[in-house]
Amino acid sequence: MTTPAPNPSAPGPSAPALAPAPAPAAVRRTSGRRRGRTRRAPGRPGSRRNTRLLHWIAVHTGAVAAALFFVLPFVFVFLTSVMSDRQAMSGELWPHGWHWSNYTEVFRTPGFLDWWRNSLMYALLGTVCTVCSSVPVAYALAKFRFRGRRTAVLLVISTMMLPPQVVVIPMYLVWAQQFHLAGTLWPLIIPMAFGDAYSIFLLRQFLLTIPKEYVESAKVDGCGELRTLLRIVVPMAKPGIAAVSLFQFFYCWNDYFGPQIYAAQNPGAWTLSYGLETFKTAHSVNWNLTMAATLLVMAPVILVFFFAQKAFVEGVTLTGVKG
Amino acid sequence: MSLTQRAADPAALRRKRARERWCTLGFLSPWLVGFSVFFGYPLLATVYFSFMHYNQIEPPTFVGLRNWAYVLTQMPLFGPALWNTVWLVVVMVALRVAFGLGVGLLVTKIKAGVGFFRTAFYIPYLAPPVAATVAFVFLLNPGTGPVNGLLARIGIHAPNWFNDPAWAKPSLVLLSLWGIGDLMVIFMAALLDVPREQYEAAELDGAGPLSRFRYVTWPNITPIVMFAVVTGVVQTMQYYTQALVAGKLASGVTIGPGSQIQPGYPDHSTLTVPQLVWSLGFQNFNTGAACVLSLVLFALAMAVTTLLMRKRAGLLAAED
Amino acid sequence: MACPRTRSRTTAIAAAVAALAALAPLAGCANPSVGSARDDPDAPVTLTFWHGWSEKSEVKAIDDSIARFEKLHPNIHVKAVGNVDDATMNQALRAGGDDAPDVVSSFTTTNVGQFCSSGMWADLDPFLHKSRIAKRKLFPRTLVDYTQYRGKQCALPLLADAYGLYYNKDAFRRAGIRRPPHTMSELKRDAAKLTVRRKGGGYRRVGFMPNFRLYQNSPPRLFAQWGPRYFDGRGRSRLSRDPDTRDYFRTTNALLKAQGGYRALERFRTTFGDEMSSQNAFLTGKLAMHMDGEWRGLMLQQAGAKFHWGTAPLPVPDDRPGTYGRGFLTGTVAGIANSSRHQNAAWELLRFLTTDTRQVVRFSNAIHNVPSTRPALKSPRLDADPRFRTFVHIARNPHSSAEPPTVNGGQFTTAFQDFGYDVESGKVRDLRKGLRALDARIDADTLQARN
Repeated sequence: MTTPAPNPSAPGPSAPALAPAPAPAAVRRTSGRRRGRTRRAPGRPGSRRNTRLLHWIAVHTGAVAAALFFVLPFVFVFLTSVMSDRQAMSGELWPHGWHWSNYTEVFRTPGFLDWWRNSLMYALLGTVCTVCSSVPVAYALAKFRFRGRRTAVLLVISTMMLPPQVVVIPMYLVWAQQFHLAGTLWPLIIPMAFGDAYSIFLLRQFLLTIPKEYVESAKVDGCGELRTLLRIVVPMAKPGIAAVSLFQFFYCWNDYFGPQIYAAQNPGAWTLSYGLETFKTAHSVNWNLTMAATLLVMAPVILVFFFAQKAFVEGVTLTGVKG
Repeated sequence: MSLTQRAADPAALRRKRARERWCTLGFLSPWLVGFSVFFGYPLLATVYFSFMHYNQIEPPTFVGLRNWAYVLTQMPLFGPALWNTVWLVVVMVALRVAFGLGVGLLVTKIKAGVGFFRTAFYIPYLAPPVAATVAFVFLLNPGTGPVNGLLARIGIHAPNWFNDPAWAKPSLVLLSLWGIGDLMVIFMAALLDVPREQYEAAELDGAGPLSRFRYVTWPNITPIVMFAVVTGVVQTMQYYTQALVAGKLASGVTIGPGSQIQPGYPDHSTLTVPQLVWSLGFQNFNTGAACVLSLVLFALAMAVTTLLMRKRAGLLAAED
Repeated sequence: MACPRTRSRTTAIAAAVAALAALAPLAGCANPSVGSARDDPDAPVTLTFWHGWSEKSEVKAIDDSIARFEKLHPNIHVKAVGNVDDATMNQALRAGGDDAPDVVSSFTTTNVGQFCSSGMWADLDPFLHKSRIAKRKLFPRTLVDYTQYRGKQCALPLLADAYGLYYNKDAFRRAGIRRPPHTMSELKRDAAKLTVRRKGGGYRRVGFMPNFRLYQNSPPRLFAQWGPRYFDGRGRSRLSRDPDTRDYFRTTNALLKAQGGYRALERFRTTFGDEMSSQNAFLTGKLAMHMDGEWRGLMLQQAGAKFHWGTAPLPVPDDRPGTYGRGFLTGTVAGIANSSRHQNAAWELLRFLTTDTRQVVRFSNAIHNVPSTRPALKSPRLDADPRFRTFVHIARNPHSSAEPPTVNGGQFTTAFQDFGYDVESGKVRDLRKGLRALDARIDADTLQARN
């Protein structure tokens, strides 16, 4: 059973099913009189155009300012990553020379490629385990009717809200002392094979939107529950499963606390998140190298986003804003 | 055989019901096992250890309420940790929701280059938290960071950001505002879902932009805002990675003579309860005290959860 | 559904409880791997050595040392892992397993108490006895003292660090000061003379900044000039019972006042650059005098300091001028993990690194630390630069002291440091009362860590 969420580090938000919005009572309903009326322009036509122009300028100035806030950090990180050692400490903004060798030096740092491999393995295995175990649970919670379903859903939601630090100490003791798995990432992956609360919740929201006629027609055809799930529901739930997979993948990719607890003592098991932090500690004043490493850690996620935009967008509309 | 005839046979019905029950159990089994093993057991064990002295080498010994007394009354860091956590929850959630709403609103109003702006606003959210923290610690470095350099050129004497106890938490809030992408998107979706007719009706009634927001937009998006607040509170109560990494990196503590990483640099200003649990358990190896603090954190989380569950905040679907 | 649900619910609950009950005995079953000292040191073996060095030149130096060792012992192959901090090492040794290291080291001498009392690091007296090494003859007294706890010698010093005074000779000359201060009053007088303020507030240079948050200035370091005894025979903190503690804080407060007050100095301090960078405040002339370890000399040379600088021991309290020449000592400590299965082979590596005079001297010159054995301290092969030799003399001085190893080193340092911050910022009105509260806190922490 993995940790928290709503995933702070997973891409894509998740708006839940909402109750229909209440009608704004303060506005008088004039629908009856509306038909046939043209738009009334308050004041002179010229000033209305000016207002709209001012409005456009204000909005787009704000947009540019906001864009600067969001984009400039990347720019500065990149510029610093190609500076020389000395210049990176000087506070200057534009690099004198373009030291692309910084990137090769980061790659040659002992362990850097191991971190990649470990992050990838953790994320892939974690995602597969999560999806395989969460889909049946979500399906049961969405489609089966049984007393205690509401309690189960409430329990799932409460587990989502649990800080991982609450249970980490005894879990660590068991993994380290009974199973001798400290220094590996298995203590993080294995629990994912038993369902992940956040994924279950999201999948359930999605499965709720599948009309029960499909399920029932399958049953009439003689399908057992398992076959119904595999043959009928899963193909229909592909967008939801894709989105949940993405969330879980990036949750694992971004995870810092888990590797810090379980993998810290074995540098061969470090992931990118943990490794990046120790990288800075080891290169205390080489900000240029640290920035290069930072960019290399940020880049994959952003690249994947650009290629998988559709799945991200699905994630946004996963549960539908309006249920 | 017709359906009604089938249903009328009591033995078959019993078998069908039994099969359904097994089916339910079977489908739920991964989660049931996981829940008891990875949540139920550790919770009980945490309670058990909170009454023990255990340094993970020698066998545990029973010490009664000593750990509880120590954590709650004799540990000077307990107060700051609680205070910082509460401060972060209140300030970070409020500012994130407000900023997310503002940015979402802004995006819905942009006419030229919406796609570009939307992507630009969203991308920082994708940056892994550790990477984002490292970037910000560098950017806001009082001596060598570009931000202070730029501000100095304009003549503003900038604060010391992550190295100043008074500015460390606001710097963390700034970092979290940079990653506002997720909130922006859900607010955008909510804003775009407000029915056009209501806006038009309001306009025709002569409502200005402020009134329109108050009487049309806000009631429509309130459930989403509540959802954002709930999830924000839950997330921030667990705030760990960014604070710990920022403190470690800003303090410039390298592994050197007599140095030890002290979470909450500078001056315990960014120490949160989760970090203190880690420090007690994995730096001091004081398992008992760490478990006591975990239970305090658990109680806090459960209190907040029940409070928020009362308001539902749209987490349960209509059919529940 | 009309079927009785209670039965299935009861079954489910019963199953869950049974599962939990089955797991309960897992709680607290400590299972640290037990090591062995019966291995043959001449058989081929691979040892794992964890250390904390991460800087390129330092890593090269330790790797060279290991290469020298492997040449002497061709059957032993050493796998060295760097950038390992104490928390990582602690965790690995407590969890046990095959990846646990054989030879370990730490930069935090105060943690030796934890290493010894928990049994994580093996007792080295049998090995010393076997190799016929008289530790008190080989190592300076302070170094032996901070590598043992309650009679158990679980570590050996692997190079040491000594703290002294770096001073800007050009600034001294311009201010008319002939020699570095020997007593605390002289320090105050010279510091005031060397402080140059800026028109309109702020400083151009400060004489000697005692602020505890500055670089290496944590409270125990300067306190060593008083030769304090932190704990009594029963292991209780005696800071409030020792008049030296009050004298110490009064001295630091007087220093603050003489140079413009805590607030102004703190504001100036926040403009200082990174300690290890080219923006270091002493290097850029913002500090005329500064307390630092012997490694700073190498950094000043490499950075090409633009002024003449010298080193000297830190001044001592006025009432004990005979102890001038003393200083604060710390260093790297190394030991054998108790869980190691190759303790005899590990001892060969440890013995080489810590006692072989030529090795100690070479390593000391390479990373610019103070050697940790008496013969090495007297060796002519040591770096002859008199500015480095200052620290060698400090290490040999019989009055020099170190922080005591405690059973929870880190917490003790934090508590003392926090108290120092409160004192210098003026938050402690009643010094006696504050010190009593500090003692109570330290004792409570110690009790928590002890069994």
